[in-house]
Amino acid sequence: MISIRNISKSFNGHKVLDGVGIDIEDGEVVALIGPSGTGKSTFLRSINLLEHPDTGELEIDGKTYDLANASKDETLEIRRSTAMVFQQFNLLRNRTALQNVMEGLTVVKRLPKNQAQDRALRELRNVGLEAWADHYPQHLSGGQQQRVAIARALSMDPRLLLLDEPTSALDPERVNEVQRTIAEAAEAGNTMLLVSHEMGFVRSIASRVIFLEGGKIVEQGTPEEIFGNPHTDRLRDFLSSFERYGTNHPGADASRNASWRTQEALREEHEREDLALEAV
Amino acid sequence: MPDLFNGKLVFTQIPQLLRYLPVTLELTVAAGVIGLLLGFVIALIRVKRTPVLYQISTVYISVLRGTPIIVQLYISYFGIPIFLKYLNYWNGTNWDINSVPPVLFAILALAFNQSAFMAEVIRAAITAVDPGQLEAARSLGMSASQVRRRVILPQAGVIALPGLMNSLIGLIKGTSLAFVCAVVDMTAAGQIMAGSSYRYFEMYCSLAIIYWVITLLLERVGAWLERRLSVPEQAPALRQVAQTEPEQAQPAQTAPARGSVRRLPALNTPGIATLAGTVAKEVVARD
Ligand SMILES: Nc1ncnc2c1ncn2[C@@H]1O[C@H](COP(=O)(O)OP(=O)(O)OP(=O)(O)O)[C@@H](O)[C@H]1O
Ligand SMILES: [Mg+2]
Repeated sequence: MISIRNISKSFNGHKVLDGVGIDIEDGEVVALIGPSGTGKSTFLRSINLLEHPDTGELEIDGKTYDLANASKDETLEIRRSTAMVFQQFNLLRNRTALQNVMEGLTVVKRLPKNQAQDRALRELRNVGLEAWADHYPQHLSGGQQQRVAIARALSMDPRLLLLDEPTSALDPERVNEVQRTIAEAAEAGNTMLLVSHEMGFVRSIASRVIFLEGGKIVEQGTPEEIFGNPHTDRLRDFLSSFERYGTNHPGADASRNASWRTQEALREEHEREDLALEAV
Repeated sequence: MPDLFNGKLVFTQIPQLLRYLPVTLELTVAAGVIGLLLGFVIALIRVKRTPVLYQISTVYISVLRGTPIIVQLYISYFGIPIFLKYLNYWNGTNWDINSVPPVLFAILALAFNQSAFMAEVIRAAITAVDPGQLEAARSLGMSASQVRRRVILPQAGVIALPGLMNSLIGLIKGTSLAFVCAVVDMTAAGQIMAGSSYRYFEMYCSLAIIYWVITLLLERVGAWLERRLSVPEQAPALRQVAQTEPEQAQPAQTAPARGSVRRLPALNTPGIATLAGTVAKEVVARD
């Protein structure tokens, strides 16, 4: 189990996170939802110390780290047991897809080159991009780049995978392929903490949903509880903003694909998509 | 027709001038290397805003970029001996200041001048590296030095290259002022030769040609380096991969290791992978 406890963070005296903590069971997919600017990214980035929280603890496999006072070595340890998928993919632009996935294996895990390459190719195959191994990020679509980024993250065997709005920078027609890849990674037993504005996807993939607002957890529960029977007015308001504005979150980019699709609908969509592709 | 201009001489005297090319190159290489190293250190100070050193570097860059190189050469030529004499006086030593070869004064002045320009180029290049690239590397668990070596340096290097090449070209031309420090470089040698033949115009034409050709060559080297270091514009061909994936071929008897993706049964359509195969075949067929 992974425990994240009491994370607080202020920017210029403005409290963005106020003692937020969650426990995540192995293999669980926890989704974090909430209005824009409510501290979701800051929470994720505090866990792997890309952001320096004012207070906070992280417990992984019985070892506890003080996030506010982590030493350099502890920081590296934490980052090596977590992995992150960014909204903007952040593939190293001077490395091919394969080299991007190999980078952490050779430099951080210090695997011999041939072993790293085998592993990296396997990860690329799993996200359906082995044929693109020699392509540089600039030659890949956003969706492909994000799938390479997921392969890169998974290649590190993280105890916890952090995903910060992994599909919100994508063209609408590229959202599905990435969501599918994430769903497959979840199915394979990866433990995940996901921030997303795409409620249909959250509903289909999450085992638990946490609603964050004003730097605090306001409500949490199973997807059925959160979406089917929200208790607080704030959550109801938040959810209704999606209905009111059609498929999109008002704060999110207007063209984003954030519909309330169920897993069933998702699958149908994939089948149609693939038929279309085969017709090419 | 009066013999006002001897066009042939412009070319025939070039070999004589080239005998002094090594001096010009020595000045360039020595000042370039020292300037680059010093410029790199100054750039790091400026990026990190190291207290005290940062303020010093601000003044240093401002002065060196704001004064003519010929004045800097004079200051070096006259100032360093005075400084050394004071050192002798303070330490009670008795070094022979006249034994310092004058080329050293020229190299130092040119190197300091270069370092100021290069520091600014390198600083700008380092800050131009996308922070997302660094975060990606850090989130993998790379140490600060690994991030520097594997991400910042290569990416900033490509960004800095054109600016550094410009600076180097400026340096080559700057070496033509080394006569100020009593160094006989190519230009100084030309002036001496012309002094006895009175063919000044032809001499400066010959020098212009040589410097221009050197600059042309350098530009070519720079362009080649840039091409080598940056991402190729053309996408490569797709790899040929097996169409059926192993996960499909042998349905899940073994649970995959954590950290890999397993195809969802209902989502298990070939889709992208098939498309990849098709495109790969097309690409190969076209070749
Ligand atoms: N480096 C920073 N310096 C100052 N303020 C910051 C910084 N990072 C985030 N903030 C502020 O903290 C608040 C929370 O930001 P955060 O990015 O965590 O929100 P979010 O929930 O991820 O929002 P979104 O859904 O738009 O991504 C915002 O008000 C933001 O302006
Ligand atoms: Mg965010």
